[in-house]
Amino acid sequence: MSDTGLPRVTLTTDVLVLGAGGAGMCAALKAKEAGADVLMIDKCGIGYSGQVPIGGGILAYVYPSYVDTWAEKVTRDSHFFNNQDWTWAFGGRMHQTTMDLADLGLKFLRKDGDIEVLTWGPNIHVTLFDAPKSLESLRRTAKARGVRMMDKIFAIDLLKNGDQVVGAVGFGLLDGRIYEFNAKATIVATGNCGYQHEKTYSSVLGEGPAMGYRAGAQLTNAEFNSMYVWGIKQLGKELMGIHFYLYLENARGEKIMGKYYPELMVGEHAVLTFDPRVIHAMYEEVKAGLGPIRLNLNGLTNDEIAGLCEEFVEDLSHIMANDTMLLLREKAGIDPSKETMEMWPRLLYTGGGMWVDPHCRTTLPGLWAAGGACSNLWTNGGGSQAGLGVQSAAVTGFAAGEDAAAYALGVPLVDVDRAYADRAIARVMAPLGRAGDVDAYDVTYRVHEAIVPMKYNRIREAGRMNEALGILDDARQKLARVGAADPHDLARYHSAESMLMVSEFNYTAALMREESRAQHFREDFPQRDDENWLKWITIEQGDGGPKLSTVPIPLQKYRLQPNP
Amino acid sequence: MAIRNFYPENCIGCGNCVAACPMDVLRMDEEENKAYVAYPMDCIACWGCESFCTEGCFDISPERARGELVSPY
Repeated sequence: MSDTGLPRVTLTTDVLVLGAGGAGMCAALKAKEAGADVLMIDKCGIGYSGQVPIGGGILAYVYPSYVDTWAEKVTRDSHFFNNQDWTWAFGGRMHQTTMDLADLGLKFLRKDGDIEVLTWGPNIHVTLFDAPKSLESLRRTAKARGVRMMDKIFAIDLLKNGDQVVGAVGFGLLDGRIYEFNAKATIVATGNCGYQHEKTYSSVLGEGPAMGYRAGAQLTNAEFNSMYVWGIKQLGKELMGIHFYLYLENARGEKIMGKYYPELMVGEHAVLTFDPRVIHAMYEEVKAGLGPIRLNLNGLTNDEIAGLCEEFVEDLSHIMANDTMLLLREKAGIDPSKETMEMWPRLLYTGGGMWVDPHCRTTLPGLWAAGGACSNLWTNGGGSQAGLGVQSAAVTGFAAGEDAAAYALGVPLVDVDRAYADRAIARVMAPLGRAGDVDAYDVTYRVHEAIVPMKYNRIREAGRMNEALGILDDARQKLARVGAADPHDLARYHSAESMLMVSEFNYTAALMREESRAQHFREDFPQRDDENWLKWITIEQGDGGPKLSTVPIPLQKYRLQPNP
Repeated sequence: MAIRNFYPENCIGCGNCVAACPMDVLRMDEEENKAYVAYPMDCIACWGCESFCTEGCFDISPERARGELVSPY
């Protein structure tokens, strides 16, 4: 028993993996392959949790012979802001990662027995895999190979001894027990922050960056990667299908995309759900008083509408959640050939995870990060294409698993610092003892009020971002008044807290960066400023709060330098 | 509304829905070996349960149980 009165369970392992989405699953499988004892936990259920099963089943691919050209293009398109060591490592791993995933049980679209590599644009290649069944396939392989797995355990904080990370603490959603994990190596693979504004990726709520920060790890690039997707307001989900943009209209019935991007109205273009041009056009039209934006498919036949939708590939399974027309007709009762539909941009997620080297080591010994929990260092706007999210999870997951296992097999287990653990447990469990007069949802709603509106988070400006930070201050005060009646409530509390922390980092870093670059746009500093801002912004614990610093990009040690 | 209809009589106790729910809305009744709706107010209507249920136990409407979210504009 602990001093909170709740039963405490202590478990030890070589490699502890927090989160069993694409990145965590890859990390666990690779660490096991290397001979380590592996324990993987997840707050949902392993095999179905994370972003991969409900995603589109697209895996970005780069031919081995094309890696140098690809990495150079990513670097130039990122205006030399990327970590080039990572870009080359990422490109160089993509082929083998794809092959490894197939060996581990992932089902790919094949042609004559080989994985089919599709060309989706000039030098843009992808493979397609069975997303809904993907993690369940990998889970079966993990189980057969002896990876230990636990569902419904919500990890909140890392445990330390001195500077060393030696495990994590969490609680059981079902049994209410406190779980203390003592590990030689810990891999955080809990994703970044999706905020639940867009439904598709609702499980990732900032837990990874938040626990990394609290343990003293360095975060970076928090000001980048705020991403909006567009979709039907009533469904609350992104709209798949690359030609729907042609049918977006303003309140006057004018097609909106041609007003801003006439080139998109001529010839064949693939405009994906995360295409910033659509979000931009929607924002400008509504700002000009011409909203709401609607999707008008009236006059099209059912077959024509079906032709606009996501493609259904034979041999791969599909789920209802990704079948837009079925959701419209059967769930929302909308006939898209007769009614128009209001469209909304949705905040998909923000960026800025833990800094990692190409082996996914963080700045803390004993701690690795993979997938969305680590910062997306290999690019800064360059190389954008479909399927990179899953590929990034796989590349970083394999890299982290490999390196963490090699480390764990060569060192003894270091005990948890008892006083540190007791403080962490007391903090994690504190809301359970409080009566509370505010619901965690009210905190989350307040966070949304600060992070979702595009006037704060997409078209950024100092005054408005300070206003958003004021809303977040209020959210933080409200958080102190939230109590928890049971483990489910406790999870809601901690999710709200991590979303709040990640959104604060988003704005403090965005305020510091007085220029515009990639997805970070400042109305008050609209130009890219390479002279002063070829620097990464890092966030670490300082005295009394987060400390932001800049690190000049070490261009002199990279392969490519900007032209003088 | 979010969970518009739930048909526990069809449930075979596979646990897919509990595993897929990102909001911990669903739980398993171990004695009955059936899923049940434990926290309906937290359903955000992502259709994870309905998508992964092989027995048609769920009918999820698009609205979130706690209502619509903040406007992006």
